[in-house]
Amino acid sequence: MPDDLAIRIEDLSIKYKINVDTKRTLKNAVMRASKGERVRMRTVEAVKHLTLDVPHGSVLGIVGANGAGKSTLMRSIAGILPPTEGRIIVNGKISTLLALGVGFNPALSGRDNIILGGLASGLSREEIESKTDQIAEFADLPDGFIDMPVRTYSSGMYGRVAFSVAVNMTPDILLLDEALSAGDASFKEKSFTRMRELCEEARTIVIVSHALATISELCDTAIWMHKGNMLAKGKPEEIVDQYLKFLDVGTLPSNFEDM
Amino acid sequence: MTSAPQTSGSNNAGKSRDKNAFAPQIQVFEPHRASLPPLIPYLREFWRRRVFASELAKFTDKAEYLDSKLGKVWLVLNPLLLAMIYYLLVTVLKGGKHNNGITTLAHILIGLFTFYFAQTCITSGAQSITSGGRLILNQAFPRALLPYSSSISAFQQFLPTIPVYIFVIIIGKLMYPATQVPGITWHFIWVPFIVALVGITGFGLALAFATMNVYFRDTNKLLQYFMRIWLYLSPILWQPEMLHGWHRAVLYLNPLGPTLSATSHIWIDGLAPNLAEWIGMLSWALLSIVLGGYFFISRERDFAVRI
Ligand SMILES: Nc1ncnc2c1ncn2[C@@H]1O[C@H](COP(=O)(O)OP(=O)(O)OP(=O)(O)O)[C@@H](O)[C@H]1O
Ligand SMILES: [Mg+2]
Repeated sequence: MPDDLAIRIEDLSIKYKINVDTKRTLKNAVMRASKGERVRMRTVEAVKHLTLDVPHGSVLGIVGANGAGKSTLMRSIAGILPPTEGRIIVNGKISTLLALGVGFNPALSGRDNIILGGLASGLSREEIESKTDQIAEFADLPDGFIDMPVRTYSSGMYGRVAFSVAVNMTPDILLLDEALSAGDASFKEKSFTRMRELCEEARTIVIVSHALATISELCDTAIWMHKGNMLAKGKPEEIVDQYLKFLDVGTLPSNFEDM
Repeated sequence: MTSAPQTSGSNNAGKSRDKNAFAPQIQVFEPHRASLPPLIPYLREFWRRRVFASELAKFTDKAEYLDSKLGKVWLVLNPLLLAMIYYLLVTVLKGGKHNNGITTLAHILIGLFTFYFAQTCITSGAQSITSGGRLILNQAFPRALLPYSSSISAFQQFLPTIPVYIFVIIIGKLMYPATQVPGITWHFIWVPFIVALVGITGFGLALAFATMNVYFRDTNKLLQYFMRIWLYLSPILWQPEMLHGWHRAVLYLNPLGPTLSATSHIWIDGLAPNLAEWIGMLSWALLSIVLGGYFFISRERDFAVRI
């Protein structure tokens, strides 16, 4: 892999196998076996033969309709979902903020959760403790909420803490999936600034967002995913334009038909 | 790093992954069949993040007992009360002529405490993956850390039961001075080893059941019945000496049989474990950690898809 690449994706396909009929229990398995039935499985191909290079220091935006496979792609880059086919090579330390929220334990305080999250991502105790104040300060929750249980947070407060953890881990590669949706205007401003800083330090960012303005403002490349395929890649403004047109008309542009 | 196309699962792919796994910066994610990832980097990552497991155990306990001051007390009280009930049951069934009542109680107590240690490792470890939802979907880390964290937590719950045991025995001795209790002997240095072997056996089985629980969500329910039967098959409500000849196989076919027998011998008779017990304990610990570990680690990359 060339040195200037942060992420290289080669012919990546990811399939989910979904058990259509029943809950996956031993009881059902035995019942089925005794009746001689087979499990009906449906395969969803969430990402199809995707090839993509992301150079160091670039900001890549991903747009696409619901179910296009964006989150799936992000999870596989983070090493959480193994590819079904193809290969992903990642050069650098990854920090993620993915769609389903962080693995926060709602009964614990924000601060405890920050420490746990840092330890899970491989930091040492000292490293994360030295960062905790900085993270708490960046999240800037009102009235000492940082030491209250996370279950008492509003969704924006939750999002703030999660985002602060992700950007303050000094990652080489930052994966953000719908990360900025819950923050208010002032926090959004602050997070944009922080992300620009990260870019200047030649760190790589991949953003998935339905807020198209965010994509055109922050990214220097964008891709459009549709039903697992990468339909287009190029300047963010152009991709966003094409995508908006598609949303208006509801049909794919004619030059994409054979995809 | 070559960019030549590689067929997945070939030797070639395996080699390039091995090589890169040692350079922490470059990671390669490739398809996997049900096979082990490179073990040395896996174990190194596991070791590097072990603090995460112990902190997770600490924080989860904190969250669980935050609201009730009695929470921690219950952890000790629960097995203690159960032991009392079993004790009454056993002595009543025997017909009341319990000349060594305290000894019987001691045997049941220490057996139950040890068994509960293993049981907590297994049952809470078995749930750790399926209840780890978001953590598993959003962070990449060696998944074995979650059951490991459950084992740590189980150990922390087990520790305070030892002083409780000693306390109860001292009271018993004061009330019935005729009771035989061992003095302090050197053989007690084996206790930590035995406890460690219980923990390893429990952790190994937890790995196996945690994997099974991902594929069959009712494993947990079955496990409860299974643990109950296992308890009765273990030398807790009965003495290991009651088995003779080939019946002793019951003791050694039980993953906790040799350990419970050895525990009882040390705490009650002040005797070191005999050779058969050592062989039994070590074999079961090794067997469960190797097989459970293999089962778990070879499938853990599948967990995120199935949760
Ligand atoms: N855990 C899962 N099990 C089975 N199928 C899944 C799972 N997660 C996603 N899918 C399927 O994979 C496809 C892609 O989903 P994905 O979450 O990647 O979409 P997305 O682009 O992130 O959508 P959104 O914009 O709504 O977040 C969808 O068809 C979805 O049904
Ligand atoms: Mg998504």
